[in-house]
Amino acid sequence: MGEKRLKRELGLLHAVMMGIGGAICAGVFVTLGYAATLAGTSLIVAMILCGIINFFTMLSYAELGASIPSAGGEYTFAKASFGGFLSFATGWFEWISNMFYAAFSSVGFAYLISYIIPAVNVPLIAVVTVAVFTLINIKGVKETGLTQTVLVIVLLMLLGVFIFWGFLSGQNVGMFELSAPTGFLGVLRASAFIFVVYLGGEAIAVAQAEIKNPGKTIPRAVLLSCMALIFLYTMMAFVVFKIVPAEALAGQSSPLAYVAEKFMGPIGAGVITIGGVIAALTSVNTSIMAHSRVAYALSRDGYFPRSFFNLHKRFNTPFIAILAGSVFTAAFAATGIVNFVTYATDFGFIIGFIFVNLSLIKLRRDNPNLHRPFKVPLYPLTPILGVVTSLLLIFFLEPSTLLIGVELFVFGLVVYYIRMVGYNRICLAVGGMNLGVGAFSALLAYLMISNNLLMPLSQNSTSLFSSFALFVSITYLIAGLLNITRK
Amino acid sequence: MTRIRKAISKLVGGIQCMLGGLASALVFLVYADPSIRELLAATSKEVPLYMFFFSVFGTFSILSGLVLVREEDSGS
Repeated sequence: MGEKRLKRELGLLHAVMMGIGGAICAGVFVTLGYAATLAGTSLIVAMILCGIINFFTMLSYAELGASIPSAGGEYTFAKASFGGFLSFATGWFEWISNMFYAAFSSVGFAYLISYIIPAVNVPLIAVVTVAVFTLINIKGVKETGLTQTVLVIVLLMLLGVFIFWGFLSGQNVGMFELSAPTGFLGVLRASAFIFVVYLGGEAIAVAQAEIKNPGKTIPRAVLLSCMALIFLYTMMAFVVFKIVPAEALAGQSSPLAYVAEKFMGPIGAGVITIGGVIAALTSVNTSIMAHSRVAYALSRDGYFPRSFFNLHKRFNTPFIAILAGSVFTAAFAATGIVNFVTYATDFGFIIGFIFVNLSLIKLRRDNPNLHRPFKVPLYPLTPILGVVTSLLLIFFLEPSTLLIGVELFVFGLVVYYIRMVGYNRICLAVGGMNLGVGAFSALLAYLMISNNLLMPLSQNSTSLFSSFALFVSITYLIAGLLNITRK
Repeated sequence: MTRIRKAISKLVGGIQCMLGGLASALVFLVYADPSIRELLAATSKEVPLYMFFFSVFGTFSILSGLVLVREEDSGS
């Protein structure tokens, strides 16, 4: 109902730029070094492999986006096929991932600026960047799309200069040969590591309620941006290994800038640094738009506060959803511990990939007559491959990523039940748990003070931890009493 | 009485949120910072256990804190 009020103002060019700009992040400029140590010159194969894995899922995005062009992307697809908690969890991860991604990209941008002007305050620049793009997003989707298009065109021109100059350059390391120092397993590990450079292209699906002629434009935009990314990354990797041997990239903080300097001189490093700055900005822009549209859709279905569904009278954008998400984003960006939250980004995006493919399979079975302007070829093989490859990627993630993912999942589960179950029952349950934690902390404090704890602790640590346990105990006992006596 | 209760709820809820935030940050710090592991006398085998403990405690504290702060808001 509500998104009839969102205007369809984005054309094919805007949508393609949304997909390319969402995917090319500052990570592209720094991840090649470590990936090259894993895969050698076969990094080119890893790049193509990642592109194909991404392509499986992007085909599902294309079909679902053209069939159900409502705001919310993956969440909307999961809602149409599964409904209930699974759809909420998909939207929840999508919302959080995009906020973290925006925070990470804004801090990345601020760090790049600090290389050029060392005196700048990194957290301040990151927060200002979030604020500026929040205003652009509130101003209107047309402005957001235009900003994105201009930034991505400039970025593509800079990367184009790098690729063509590299091809034309007489400098090379000799006859090009594919090599993999640690075999095919190394290529697979490199693929998992660099897959992040393809993430973010699904931003097209999130903005699909504002894309003109969605039945035709969405599949074209998704597939064009996907193909463009495979071509671009493969060409970049080829130029890199034409100029320097794979071993030379190990330990380089900015491998692309290093390679550019080799054949373009100092101007090359400058071109690539500016490219990194623009890539970070396009990611901030796309992710702010993405998290606000997901919050808007979650609010439409009663999971988030109703006010997130309000549109600005003049600009026709979900300004409260944009502002609320941006406050969280700015807070994450200002803490300087963004590395901690970026782990969650990958997990959230991959969960989204899995659910999009599962949604496609379920919708094909449950609703075979749904109008589908575009159909995934080789069904059901393609979406099954999408699910399997996404699951494989999860196994390659760091353990801490999985733990943070589980924590966010539990957090989302509780938020869902708070919305669905009677609030008083939740308060009673939380109150009981508080009393339990309070009693356990009191016991822990007693054991520490009486030296009966089995863990060996130094004298200083014992007094510090026992005081802390006592403080926690008192706090949680009071919290428990407040909760269970709530009227 | 209601005003005092609201003030205490807000204060205790705020402290719980802060403790939850601290525990969530410790999840990462235990993993990344050797000095924190040393302070906690945690061996490398115990690191995942500490991370799990801090994850659960952090999540619960933030949620419980939000419930209390929300009580204060909804009552006003």
